[in-house]
Amino acid sequence: MNDYIPIAALNQYDYCPHRCWRMFCAGEFLDNQYTLEGTHLHERVHTVGDGYREEVWQVRAVWLKSERYGLIGKADLIEAHDGCWYPVEYKRSAKGEFDNDALQVCAQALCLEEMTGQPITQGFVYYAQSHQRQAIALNDELRQAAIATLAAVKTLLETGQMPPAIYSPRCRGCSLRQQCLPQAAPKVDRYQETH
Amino acid sequence: MGTVYITQDDAFIGKTDERLQVKAQKKTLLDVPMLKVEGVVVLGRATISPAALTELLERKIPLSFLTGTGRYLGRLEPPLTKNIFVRSAQWQAAGDSDKAIHVVRSFIRGKLKNYRSMFLRAQRENAALNLQAAITRLEQAIAPINATDTIDSLRGLEGAGSAAYFGGFDALIRADGFRFESRRRRPPTDPVNALLSFGYALLLHDIQSAVNIVGFDPYLGYLHTQRYGRPSLALDLMEEFRPLVVDAVVLATLNRRSLTLSDFTTEALSQAVSLSDEGRRTFLRLYEQKKQSKFKHPVLGTQCTYQEAFEIQARLLAKYLMGETQQYPPLVLK
Repeated sequence: MNDYIPIAALNQYDYCPHRCWRMFCAGEFLDNQYTLEGTHLHERVHTVGDGYREEVWQVRAVWLKSERYGLIGKADLIEAHDGCWYPVEYKRSAKGEFDNDALQVCAQALCLEEMTGQPITQGFVYYAQSHQRQAIALNDELRQAAIATLAAVKTLLETGQMPPAIYSPRCRGCSLRQQCLPQAAPKVDRYQETH
Repeated sequence: MGTVYITQDDAFIGKTDERLQVKAQKKTLLDVPMLKVEGVVVLGRATISPAALTELLERKIPLSFLTGTGRYLGRLEPPLTKNIFVRSAQWQAAGDSDKAIHVVRSFIRGKLKNYRSMFLRAQRENAALNLQAAITRLEQAIAPINATDTIDSLRGLEGAGSAAYFGGFDALIRADGFRFESRRRRPPTDPVNALLSFGYALLLHDIQSAVNIVGFDPYLGYLHTQRYGRPSLALDLMEEFRPLVVDAVVLATLNRRSLTLSDFTTEALSQAVSLSDEGRRTFLRLYEQKKQSKFKHPVLGTQCTYQEAFEIQARLLAKYLMGETQQYPPLVLK
């Protein structure tokens, strides 16, 4: 596989490696209320081209690519003020449900740095539910984490090795729960059939 | 909603916006949101509009065609999922592998244990029945399953168990005028066999849908082998559900007098017995009710419907074949 890694896969991998495998290796995806709300929100963001908002130049739905990291994806919104670029990622949730949005913004920034040749110091996550903008500092620590996740996702996509499905509270909001049945394996192995 | 059954000859299946509509002779017979439809089964002759066809495929809703008497003709279904991993595990276990032997044991154990439960329950409810001999024969077929390690010998045990079950089946029918001597198919020549055959055809549609959703190749089975054009894996997984769903519905339909002899007709030349239109609608309604009824899944410990259990069992089978679990537990209910 000499393919680019979809930026979205990083976020999924951080949420749950098994879900990432189902989506990107097994090609399974099911909408649930959360993903539908998210898609709808993204459609709204992506249908607008570019424009100005209070002296900030904005471009929406931009294709991003990095040859160095082998990444590909789309940014919801890129903003420029004072000659600097900032990626902005839209999320349906309120802040802090799962803290993997920073990773996605960081991956977008890695692409953007390569495409513009300029260093990017911060990005933003916009939370639709609370209308909050959260600044993300693109420090070394976050960059290392993004690159490490990228390497893990690369291995996953190349080998197709299924990571185990491990049950956690996150499973409750997962649209693939019916396919994955995360609690089934231990139950099956404990099960004693009636004689 | 679940599965939509279309029994009216010359019905027209169309779509308007996000709704599936069935019309006949200018009358609307059905108008439901596509979101609620899990499958469409056409019995006999019906026409479907290209728009409705596209919509069904895009939404991954399978469409099956059965003859008016319920014989399975074929189906139009969404492409297999991209989940090549499930199919690759399925193929790797093909033939006489340890995994194949394990799942064949499970399929047969599941079916025969559920057969035995039917008899034990009937015997408890009616002490006058003399089912003990049949129960003993069933147990003699169940006992050696786990120590039998060729698929052919396992098929022999399945045959012996089924013979014992159908040998005693007549005792479970309490409705006057309905008798069961032995299993007769192609064509069924008595009402009970006609109902069983019809029910198994409906069940096959449902199980095949489940097998397909999970990502299996329905034509590669372990107990049923690659006979041309038979969805063998669906037939394999169907075994444990035959008594739980179809036999249970057939017996309930007869014993509660939901159908009477006047609902059946016999074709003079072949002696093939089939249901009247009205009788067919009644049976389909009862079958659908059964599928939507809930019970506690013995392995997962959660409530589910039979309709959901088809998919759960297919997923448990996938987990076993892919090495996620140590066993495939058939659905055995008390």
